[in-house]
Amino acid sequence: MGRFILIRFMYMVITLWVIATVTFFLMHHLPGSPLANEERIPPELKEQILAQYGLDKPLPVQYLDYLGKLVQGDLGTSFKYDGRSVTEMIQQGFPASAQIGLQAMVFGVLLGVILGCISALRRGTLVDNGATVLSVLGYAIPSFTLAALFSYYVGVVWRVLPAAGWGTFAHSVLPSLALSFLVIAQITRYVRTEMLEVLGQDYMKTARAKGLERRVIIIRHALRNALIPAITIIGPLTVALMTGSLVVEKIFNIPGMGWMFVDSIITNDYTMIMGVTMFYSFLLILSIFIVDILYGVVDPRIRLTGAKE
Amino acid sequence: MAANIKNLSPDLFEPAEFDHTKEEISRKRLSYWQDVRRRFFSNTGAVIGLVLILVIGMMAIIGPGMNDYNYRQQDYNVQNISPFDRIVGDHWFGTDNLGRDLWTRTWYGAGISLLIALIAAGIDLTIGVAYGSISGYFGGRVDDWMQRIVEVLVGIPNLIVIILLLIWLEPGIFPIALAIALTGWVNMSRIVRAQMLQLKSQEYVLAARTLGAGTRRMLMKHLLPNVMGPVIITLMFTIPQAIFFEAFLGFIGLGLRPPEASLGVLINDGYKMLQVFPYQTFFPAVILSLLMFSFNLLGDGLRDALDPKLRQ
Amino acid sequence: MGKKWNMALSLLLVVSMVLTACGGVQQGAGGKDKQELNWVITAEPPGLDSAITTDTVSFQILNNITEGLYRLNKDNEPEPAIAKDVEISDDKKTYTFKLRDAKWSDGKPVTAHDFEFAWKRALDPKNKSQYAYILFPIQGAQEYNEGKGDQEDVAVKAVDDKTLKVELKDPIPYFLMMTSFATYRPQREDIVEKYGKDFAEDPDKMVYNGPFKLTQWQHNKSLKLEKNEKYWDKDKVKLDTINFTKSDEVSTQVNLYNTGKLDFVENLDASFVDKFKGKEDVKVFNETTTFYLQFNTNDQFFANEKIRKAFTMALDRSIMTDKISKTGSKPAQGLVPPNVEVDGKSFRELSGKYLKEDPKEAKKLLEEGMKEEGIKKVPKVELLGYDRDTAKKDQEYMQQTFKEVLGVDVDIQILPFKQKLEREDAGKFQISYAGWGADYNDPMTFLDLWVTGNAFNRGDWSNKEYDKLIKKAQSNPDFEERAKQLAKAEKILMEEQAIAPLYHRARMQLQKPYVKNVWRHPFGADYTFKEAYIEGKQ
Repeated sequence: MGRFILIRFMYMVITLWVIATVTFFLMHHLPGSPLANEERIPPELKEQILAQYGLDKPLPVQYLDYLGKLVQGDLGTSFKYDGRSVTEMIQQGFPASAQIGLQAMVFGVLLGVILGCISALRRGTLVDNGATVLSVLGYAIPSFTLAALFSYYVGVVWRVLPAAGWGTFAHSVLPSLALSFLVIAQITRYVRTEMLEVLGQDYMKTARAKGLERRVIIIRHALRNALIPAITIIGPLTVALMTGSLVVEKIFNIPGMGWMFVDSIITNDYTMIMGVTMFYSFLLILSIFIVDILYGVVDPRIRLTGAKE
Repeated sequence: MAANIKNLSPDLFEPAEFDHTKEEISRKRLSYWQDVRRRFFSNTGAVIGLVLILVIGMMAIIGPGMNDYNYRQQDYNVQNISPFDRIVGDHWFGTDNLGRDLWTRTWYGAGISLLIALIAAGIDLTIGVAYGSISGYFGGRVDDWMQRIVEVLVGIPNLIVIILLLIWLEPGIFPIALAIALTGWVNMSRIVRAQMLQLKSQEYVLAARTLGAGTRRMLMKHLLPNVMGPVIITLMFTIPQAIFFEAFLGFIGLGLRPPEASLGVLINDGYKMLQVFPYQTFFPAVILSLLMFSFNLLGDGLRDALDPKLRQ
Repeated sequence: MGKKWNMALSLLLVVSMVLTACGGVQQGAGGKDKQELNWVITAEPPGLDSAITTDTVSFQILNNITEGLYRLNKDNEPEPAIAKDVEISDDKKTYTFKLRDAKWSDGKPVTAHDFEFAWKRALDPKNKSQYAYILFPIQGAQEYNEGKGDQEDVAVKAVDDKTLKVELKDPIPYFLMMTSFATYRPQREDIVEKYGKDFAEDPDKMVYNGPFKLTQWQHNKSLKLEKNEKYWDKDKVKLDTINFTKSDEVSTQVNLYNTGKLDFVENLDASFVDKFKGKEDVKVFNETTTFYLQFNTNDQFFANEKIRKAFTMALDRSIMTDKISKTGSKPAQGLVPPNVEVDGKSFRELSGKYLKEDPKEAKKLLEEGMKEEGIKKVPKVELLGYDRDTAKKDQEYMQQTFKEVLGVDVDIQILPFKQKLEREDAGKFQISYAGWGADYNDPMTFLDLWVTGNAFNRGDWSNKEYDKLIKKAQSNPDFEERAKQLAKAEKILMEEQAIAPLYHRARMQLQKPYVKNVWRHPFGADYTFKEAYIEGKQ
């Protein structure tokens, strides 16, 4: 296992390097420059400012410069937010996004697993149909519509929770709820489908024949196997939610990091694009790694090293 | 007893009359696909889903022609008319803020959205299932490498890739669908791979292999049919994701060219007015939900029908 | 019974004591109301280094925490601020400012050196200031900034601590106004050097000489301004606190406004306008912005003047202002917005009305133009646009109108903003939807764009007489004659229809009626809170 983890860690570093390289060269092909006032700067001045930033050097040279700094853990400073370090900005935005994302995830997964199980066990009943409708609505209604509705009705009309803002736990309830719908929807569907699949397997009959309690059968035998596809998506989904949703953060005025992904690309904030990409990729690869280990825990038959083949 | 047997003589026996008709399988022989069809059509939910999709699809074609307006015609005398308070002319779904008929735009948009989503889902399905099953089935080094490639692809910000792709191809229905699928198939492949990893160590797979089944047969006959459940569920998620992603692309200036409409564009435009003109989001959202709902019923039905374990 | 009565009485006494105590505290803050304003900003300020920053939000903040030689007053006229008065030479090229005894928030005096240092810092190419060009009217500034001249040749000099002498390249009537802009604000050399890269990154890493000082900056969330007790004119400052909340979503702002968390909503869009119209909360902010269609005169079709005119006449501008945006924008009658002044008068009154809707004439002109060019069939036309605010809807309106009136099929090419700019710069367009906002209160800020060879003259329109008029106006010390030259230039531009102006944008805002005396400026920074106050909130 130790060797396995070491190898995977090496792979992770290499993967990150490849991502950095590809992203670096791709983003430099985006039209325009990273200058914020680009539409109004006289062209001579623009050339000169770009030269001051070192953006007139050949791309490979810029790439090596960047890589050199990256190795030392320096993500550079933002173009748009003059002089502010990218690392610092991610540090400022991540906690709020992560809190909302995690809350949405925990709530969504719990409810999703419960709903999925119940509707599989009571297949075809009212409960099942209700869960199906709920889950369909969960992904047919986009989170921004839900967020807008929550903010308006709960926040303004009924005044139960703050309409927007950030600070206390109460502020985080509505945005988490708005995000969790998608999680509930997905997890419910996957768990239900897999549960149905598993319930029809022979070993379920064996377990029942042994005289095991129904509860034990369902939790130990059925659920464990039914969770495989759910786990596959939980990893990346957690990372996606923790790094913030642009629109939900906008509607609830949350100082998170959701805006960074789109904003940096639209404004060609090169250092920011790279910083955010590296941060996101790192979390993502980590989550995939954890998921791969979890496969083994949930289903011991899945052997990952599998080099014997 | 033994003595008795010795005393038996051959003339005590005579051949029984062989009646071939009794040996025949009385039920009509069904191929796998015939059986799939039979099971699918006996599932009420699935049929309802299919019918609904067909109806929405039909409406997308004939709906825009049902009144006197077209999807792009503006009329500044009838801006933001709600279908609930007063009807001017036959704007059954009301009008938007340029005075365009929302009935026509909604159905027209539904058609465009369906088209984009189906193309995207089709590409997703093909690439995702192929990649995932190869990676999961062969495992070991092949899997390692294929998964590292996936990690790289997921790590690169898809917005950059999409902007570059759309600069190169010029926005249009197919390029947009391609751009969406380009980054969407990864999820599908991961689901398929996970299922493959689980399935290939099951007893029946071992049995099949012992009996000498080749790779091709293993994949096509034994493994893929068993992966169908999660694949169909994933596909169901791909469709709304594609529809919303298209709207998001429009939001940053990479979507369909105006005055084209799609459900995503309509919902996106409408949500800004949710507090004032909620009906502008309502109809497209309902159509989208209906669409999703019927795709789900259809998906469930398909899953049950395709699953060899449920074969009777 | 008696006991109960006693209890009630003492309770009443306690309550009234508490109430008077509270009232007393509020009294001390001036008036009955708590002098706290809850304003909104639509973005995180990218940077508060006045020499470097370029965006409107940073300007808004800087305008209230720092002060330049002059400050725009309620009527948008420059009024002496850190400068006590100014002496202007007869050729209107040399300005000698006398400074008053103002102090920074750390108690040190504001000197002429602080101005000289800040301006030269902005011009230093090493500092990569993207707004340095606003200092180009100063003799030697452009040369230094472009690396062709020396710092010593920049003609701004602190004669002594309280005297600043500035020499201009050309006589311009709007220089005093310019000295109120962010880039013209003073900076302290010792502070800038002390914090280096981190200067102005945090509230304690800068000093203030304006009515307020920044006391808290929670990135991407909020900023807090408090009254600056060291400010030279502090008696006029009534607000104790201003809280800026960042919110870039109108519906969110409206929700916070309705729940009393905000006193202001920045930019209502058309749907909310319908909801709030007629209420006393509604305020209209007239920008000095013109939106227009830029024709590419290198294009075979739009090289023809009559065809350009046809496209201009086909449009009904009031639909864009009254039916689509509904925020109080005004249909354009020329390039320069009505609130731009020259020589103390509105430029529009001096110039003429050049734009009218006439579908029949438009159709006729199109046919004539096509005959002149020998074009038989109407080609497919592409409109280069982008998706911001109401831009997309404007483009959709024009698309339909060109089809209905002229029978021309227009394809709208919506692109991300940066990509659109690149296309324009490369001249790869036929018509482009564009906007330009004034840098300062003078028609020149619009008119010099269309001089031959100017980088922003993206349609490559060229007229020798126009060039000559602009050149003359640029160096004309007779401001009355200069105004006429500019009016004549605009006339040429409009008659040849190099562009088709559409409308001058206005923003519709919500402001609680108890918020008083917030000054709105169409130039430079949007708001001044110096003399604003709260009255009647309780």
